[in-house]
Amino acid sequence: MLLIPIGILVIAALIGLSKAKIVLKIVSTLSAIASVAMICIGILGLKTTLEFKYNLFNSPSLFTSLKWLVFRVDSLSAFFLLILGILGLCASVYGIKYMEKYFGKEDMRVYTFNYPIFLLTMYLVLICWDLLWFIIFWELMSLFSQFLVAFEQSKEKAVKAAFKYFCMTKAGAEFLVLAVVLIILKVTSFNANYSEITSILPAYLSAHPGMLYALTFALLIGLGVKAAMVPFHSWLPDAHPEAPSNVSALLSGIMIKLPVYMMFRFFLGFFPRDANIGLIIASFGVVTLFFGTMYALLQTDSKRLLAYHSVGQIGYIILALGAGIYLISSGYELLGRVALMASLYHTINHAAFKGLLFLTAGSVIYTTGSRDLNYLGGLAKYMPLTAVSALIGALSIAGMPLFNGFVSKWMIYMSTLPTPTLISLFGAFALFISAVTTASFIKYFTAIFTRPPAEEIKVEEVPSSMWVSQMILAVICIAFGVYPFIPLKMISSALSSIGITVDLGALIVYPSLVIPKVGSYSPIILFAFMLISTLIALLLIPSRGNAVPTWKTGRSEDLNVSMPADGYYKDFEEAFNEVYLLGDASKGFVQKVAEIGKIFGTRFEVLSYDLDSMLSLAMILIVILVAILGGVGL
Amino acid sequence: MNIIFMAINLAFALLIAPVVDGFERKIRARLQNRQGPPILQTWWDLIKLFKRPTIEPQDSVKSLYKLAPYVTFTAVLAAYLIVPTLLPGSINFIGDFIVVVYLLGLATLSFVIGAFSSGNPYAQIGSNREVSLFMSEELLLAFIIGTIAVIGKSLSFEQLFPLPLRISSVLVLILLFVVIYVASARLPFDIAEAEPEIIEGPLIEYSGKHLGLLEYSIFLKRLLLYSLLLNFILPVRNPTRLIGYLIGIVILSLVYSTFEAYYGRFRIDQAVKLMKKLSAVALIVWIIALVGW
Repeated sequence: MLLIPIGILVIAALIGLSKAKIVLKIVSTLSAIASVAMICIGILGLKTTLEFKYNLFNSPSLFTSLKWLVFRVDSLSAFFLLILGILGLCASVYGIKYMEKYFGKEDMRVYTFNYPIFLLTMYLVLICWDLLWFIIFWELMSLFSQFLVAFEQSKEKAVKAAFKYFCMTKAGAEFLVLAVVLIILKVTSFNANYSEITSILPAYLSAHPGMLYALTFALLIGLGVKAAMVPFHSWLPDAHPEAPSNVSALLSGIMIKLPVYMMFRFFLGFFPRDANIGLIIASFGVVTLFFGTMYALLQTDSKRLLAYHSVGQIGYIILALGAGIYLISSGYELLGRVALMASLYHTINHAAFKGLLFLTAGSVIYTTGSRDLNYLGGLAKYMPLTAVSALIGALSIAGMPLFNGFVSKWMIYMSTLPTPTLISLFGAFALFISAVTTASFIKYFTAIFTRPPAEEIKVEEVPSSMWVSQMILAVICIAFGVYPFIPLKMISSALSSIGITVDLGALIVYPSLVIPKVGSYSPIILFAFMLISTLIALLLIPSRGNAVPTWKTGRSEDLNVSMPADGYYKDFEEAFNEVYLLGDASKGFVQKVAEIGKIFGTRFEVLSYDLDSMLSLAMILIVILVAILGGVGL
Repeated sequence: MNIIFMAINLAFALLIAPVVDGFERKIRARLQNRQGPPILQTWWDLIKLFKRPTIEPQDSVKSLYKLAPYVTFTAVLAAYLIVPTLLPGSINFIGDFIVVVYLLGLATLSFVIGAFSSGNPYAQIGSNREVSLFMSEELLLAFIIGTIAVIGKSLSFEQLFPLPLRISSVLVLILLFVVIYVASARLPFDIAEAEPEIIEGPLIEYSGKHLGLLEYSIFLKRLLLYSLLLNFILPVRNPTRLIGYLIGIVILSLVYSTFEAYYGRFRIDQAVKLMKKLSAVALIVWIIALVGW
């Protein structure tokens, strides 16, 4: 069962090596089928545990981990598999038409080979049950996604972005390797099987708090780089916009969620729950959501704006995760569980609406060839379906009631705000940033679809395969917003696999979500009320009117006044200048560090011509290494 | 029982909101040495608007432009399901403080999107100001909600009405009083509409029934915010609540319209900076609440 997607995707990748035009269709279809298989595995995995074991080597001298290849889907990985499957399906179907515009311009094999492999590596990261294999698949995922970012090889920007992305995630992965090596050397005696680790590690780490913090540090950097946590986020706003839009949807929708998945595994499954760790993670989360979104407000490139919002929304997810760990370990059992549920809920929501928004941005690129919000405008008349789905995506990410973003944000506020701790302040910041997100998406939507452009842009609606994939995601956004009980059930079973039991009966009091004594929200009643009262209002006060020219203050010619996208919210940005000054200062600092590094590099290069000093340096390094290894071995 | 109460509250709000505005107009006129229109004038204005035909500008995105006033109106109306007005006892399982804040946010958002869809540049400038103000207002409001949640250890109105008498609750209610003033689009904070500068901004193209609906929503929103503030003060299970509520509405209208009558308009950057300063104050109040005063 678990091998079906692997088989299909490997075949797809092999076919993708061919140059023929039809290959794109075959590869996309096969990827879509594999994604459907992943959805099935996800649904099955939520109920039962699927497992596959294969004995690779029989040599007794090898690590136990490397002898066996163990795949296992428990409900946590099934939950993420479900997200991967849904997004993979939409992105693959979308890609059939979307990628056609690159025919003749780029080498399509870069896409047709790497795309299925990229899906495959993400799938493997989710289903592998061993830390060593995880590291291998993780690195492969970074590698192949990097090729997709650099798909437009003729564009220098894309290649540079891919390089930056690769360097940063690679450096981050080293920290992961360090953490894993520490775990298997010191604790589990060369066994990195998840089940083994779960049984040994918590007790060991409770006894050795120093080790716990060292591992947390390494993991937060290692996973944080991939999750684009501020201050390790700078690759994301460069890399995500440069990839083809359906790949951006996958990158933002699911790939940056895989570190979140691993954080759940490590910090909740493998580690003892520690309040300080929770607080550290939550602080990273609040910094990430604040700076990510504040910078998103400045952007005028449609995909770059979305990419910055990915940083911001990851902040929400991480904040909720950290708050959950903190609250559970300091006695707020119920609120902590709600926060953890909110974290997973926001994960699936973000996948749906950000995937959707990247696809709509892609549709706009497909028809107009532009990402510039200053240039675009008035497309709602020509692309109504894309406009509607973009509006749904915008409302969802803004967290408007009745859309999915609201449910998860509401759960975040419920769990953070009423606690008399620092977490309450974090919740307040999240609440404020939600308004900034709203503003930013008002800008995104109106600048592309409703504002009259400087010159009329005449285009047609995108082909059906593209708008259908957008619509699927849009329907998910609304369904998860109006009827949140299904995702909540999935989430509670996902959490149960890492030892967090949630009493859903207390939370779901049909037709409401109730957190006892703290708050309640009933999307169904609100939806029914707003629908009925809108219909009554439409009946009583019918809206029909005559078209007249737009009022131009009485002048006969056009006003020639139009607001460019970079003019939005100028006063607000100026008033909050300190935020941006801080960002610029830290950027300057990093550049200084890079320069110093360069100087050292040149010095070292000069040194390296001198054989004697080179050899003595190497010897010293080896001695240090031996000393460290010796220390670890003891 | 609750459903009947809620229906009465809703009907009360629908009837009284324009009357409150008429009352405020009268007070403003008196303070400026004018005769002023009768108290029911706002109702007559609305009825007249609802009778008039509407027009659609050619450059607009018609569906969004037409739908926006209805969504704005119902979003504000839905908040009345949660915040009790005349009679106590809201239906708590529908929503809480956060839901109310977001419903008002939805009202602002649809109002702004409708204005952007009208295709008029003045509407764009106005909406842009509206959103800038909304963001900074929300910063202050976020800290206020944080403080209230820390004081009441809850976000459900059942637990929050009324707030316990503490230093922090008094301070936070003063801040709430200010933020309500800002949110109700009055001078000096009616920067988005700013008649003399940008000709009613977001409302510029709206006419007839649409305009009526939008104005009606603004009045409803004001009354909702009044009720929210009063509920934090008034005792819930007490027959004097009804009288207290009505007197409270009159006092709030008096105070707010007095401010309005004597102020000129802020520039948008001044308003945003003011909100930022107040947010710093709100942060201090949050700390006071955290300490337990």
